[in-house]
Amino acid sequence: MKELESRIKAKGLNDVEVKQYMCFGACQEGPNVVVYPEKSWYAHVKTEDLDDIVAHLAGGPHVQRLDTIDSSLKDLIYQLLDTGVF
Amino acid sequence: MEGILFPKGVPEGRESLQQYRSRGGYEALVKAVKGAPEDVVKIVADSGLRGHGGAGFPAGKKWQFTRDAPEQPRYLVMNGGEDEPGSRKDRILLENVPHLVIEGAVLGAFAIGASKAYLYINAKYEAATQIVKEALAEAKAAGYWGEKICGSNFSCDIELVAAPHNYVAGEDTAVIEVIEGKQPKPRQKPPFPVTVGLFGKPTSVNNVETLANVPRILLKGAAWYRGFGTADCPGTMLFSLNETEEVNKPGIYELPFGTPLRYLIEECGGGMKAGHKIKAIMPASPSSAYLKPDKLDTPLEPNAMRDAGSALGCGVVHIVREGTSIVDELVRVTDFFAVESCGQCPACQMETKSLAMLMKKVQQGQGNAAMLEQFGKLIAFNKGKGFCNLIGMPGPPIESALKLFPEDFQARMAS
Repeated sequence: MKELESRIKAKGLNDVEVKQYMCFGACQEGPNVVVYPEKSWYAHVKTEDLDDIVAHLAGGPHVQRLDTIDSSLKDLIYQLLDTGVF
Repeated sequence: MEGILFPKGVPEGRESLQQYRSRGGYEALVKAVKGAPEDVVKIVADSGLRGHGGAGFPAGKKWQFTRDAPEQPRYLVMNGGEDEPGSRKDRILLENVPHLVIEGAVLGAFAIGASKAYLYINAKYEAATQIVKEALAEAKAAGYWGEKICGSNFSCDIELVAAPHNYVAGEDTAVIEVIEGKQPKPRQKPPFPVTVGLFGKPTSVNNVETLANVPRILLKGAAWYRGFGTADCPGTMLFSLNETEEVNKPGIYELPFGTPLRYLIEECGGGMKAGHKIKAIMPASPSSAYLKPDKLDTPLEPNAMRDAGSALGCGVVHIVREGTSIVDELVRVTDFFAVESCGQCPACQMETKSLAMLMKKVQQGQGNAAMLEQFGKLIAFNKGKGFCNLIGMPGPPIESALKLFPEDFQARMAS
């Protein structure tokens, strides 16, 4: 998480905030990174994936290879985030 | 009507071996070990005795399944992990009638052919543990457990195990994990403990109250036991009405299954203190649906409670008085499950934490319609997931409260 924060900072993405979420219900597929409110979910994230994620945050392409989470779980968590609970 | 566990009410202090014998104590064991274990299983099955730990599984059937499993050795585990908020029935049995419980455990071991029994007792029950230790020493000296019990060829060793005091440590497979020296985390089922249990061998895990019923069933017969309760659910159950319930006479009450809920609260409990009115009742705290007072005549019996929309569980009856916000109630409930989830199943972790977080937001006046919808979605999404039943426990209180008391939620919506 610290590495992600530092790469986002290095890229000058001042409108991106990294927050820890209490539980996505997908520990077996972690580490998980959810990009919100855009709604992208990256699973099994490794340090070597961070540049691609940061590039996406900077307007680059979606990182398809990390998009492996079941759509029903994604929908549930996105709806939960949409309520403003977090 | 006399009770089964406490024929003359809950005795003062610990019942001695002599006192227990004077009312027929250990006679069932002396008689049973002269016969066949199958006879014990049959009488208990015929009696209709159900498990009293919450699930209500027929005890005779559990013992038969354990006996039928081909592996040897077999084990009996008495589950006194009791950690449901407000439940103290098992502690009362262990402290006041320890020999009744011990006789029940030895009879259970005999019935399933176990040469080793474990008595698993909540570690915070220090007095109960000490009392059981003393009673075990007396019973062993008298030949009621150990080698060649009551002069028979049946031998059974007994070991006490301290149960960690958290809720999930009372789940039967978590009990087995603890006895094996591991963390109290439930196992995935199947296989069930009756086939693959303690150390991988057939194991019957029985609640303290279940085992305490066995000696008198064997002594007086299945038909006698069926004289209590209902046809579907014979016998009695210990119901807990705690100090916090604001009734005039809190206590542990043994009542036949089928007794109206109203009788427990008004006759046994003496009604509500200071004229308070009842807003809702949770018959199996903390995991059952709430009922409104118009259901006060529902019989205390699993099927009737299910038909009324709730459950009986292990008899911890919680009363919500008028003037209490059901949202405040649910913050307590959801916090409990979020804390008690053992964390090994991601779905359970996510569900319980999300529900608690949502409920706190509502309590803080930051709720919205979308949040209220999320409760049902989270519960439905996670239904049936996880290794144990905990994942399904927050659902009934939340969903019943949303249905019965929508105004309490509306009152906390963000303006």
